[in-house]
Amino acid sequence: MSTQVATPGGVESPAGHDSDHGHHGPAWLAHHFDTPSQQFDAAKLGMWAFLAQELLFFSGLFVAYGVYRSWYPEMFRAASHQLNKEMGAINTVVLLFSSLTIALAVRYAQVGNKKATGRMILTTIACACAFLVIKFFEYKHKFEGGLLPGRFFHPHAEHLVHGAPALPDNTGSFFGIYFMMTGVHGIHVVVGIGVLVWIWLRNARGEFSKEFFTPVDIVALYWHLVDLVWIYLFPLLYLI
Amino acid sequence: MSLADQHSLRHGHDDGAVHAHVSSVGFYIAVFIGLLFLTGVTVGQSYVDLGKANILLVILIATLKASLVVTFFMHLKWDNRFNALIFVSTIFFIGVFFVYTMNDTETRGEFDADQNVRIWQKTGMPAPGGMQKPEPAAKSSASAMPQH
Repeated sequence: MSTQVATPGGVESPAGHDSDHGHHGPAWLAHHFDTPSQQFDAAKLGMWAFLAQELLFFSGLFVAYGVYRSWYPEMFRAASHQLNKEMGAINTVVLLFSSLTIALAVRYAQVGNKKATGRMILTTIACACAFLVIKFFEYKHKFEGGLLPGRFFHPHAEHLVHGAPALPDNTGSFFGIYFMMTGVHGIHVVVGIGVLVWIWLRNARGEFSKEFFTPVDIVALYWHLVDLVWIYLFPLLYLI
Repeated sequence: MSLADQHSLRHGHDDGAVHAHVSSVGFYIAVFIGLLFLTGVTVGQSYVDLGKANILLVILIATLKASLVVTFFMHLKWDNRFNALIFVSTIFFIGVFFVYTMNDTETRGEFDADQNVRIWQKTGMPAPGGMQKPEPAAKSSASAMPQH
């Protein structure tokens, strides 16, 4: 059906403003879409469906958390004392700030400010890296202390937080949940850095404009989801 | 009539171009400050023992923060309503997942090794579930369950 619109020499291009480039619409408009707004809506719909799937698969981990915390509240409280509240809080601020900068990247892309868009994407990437560095030091401390999942759990008293409640034998299940939740989230951060670099390169090549900024918008949605999951992870794991 | 014409008839003002809502930089910074403030509150509550209210407070604050991110940073406020429907129904089904699972795991009862049965701590009555083969005495009460 859409081929009717694109007949050569036929009706004016649906987008109107791109008539200078012939009758096939701008290069970024895929031939199976009638209008830029249709393409934009389809991309957003697809991304939201993907984000729904992301939330649903993360929810499995949150349900596991809920079940175990309600079964062993004292064990969760004791284990939580071994996590570094300050590092967790700093990482929260880093991720929230990166969420702000990527939202601003979209905003600058919307108004066609290529330079500012690039700067904001770079800042977001820097925050993502900072997050992973902090996370690395947290994981390092857990490994040194033997605070590992399931049967690998073998705490060394000298590496534990002083004055914290004693850890019951089944604390390995808390660290199983901790490493799965923060690990899967961490993989999302790594993937996020990948797509942010990709979007930065495309922006640097001048592929985006006021009329076409969809990829920036879509990647930003993904990055906000990474932030969204952490918003729940931080208080649930660190602040018991 | 071309498809594009039909399209614009349906939507009135639609010229086919993307009309995204552009918020000001200051607005985004204000949302960010709101998020920082709520982070402070959630860290603060961890130093106050409110019993069971702590976990409820934590989830409430996190949900407030998530709402700020979803509504403004992720543009759901100005987006196609269908995308908001996808998001809200996702949250609903996560709720179903939680309620149905915990309805099981919270009502399995405790294993009483002396009697070799599962009992509900509150009532002391035999609880369904578990892998233990019921004793004859427990069996009679277990077979009575479906008639309830």
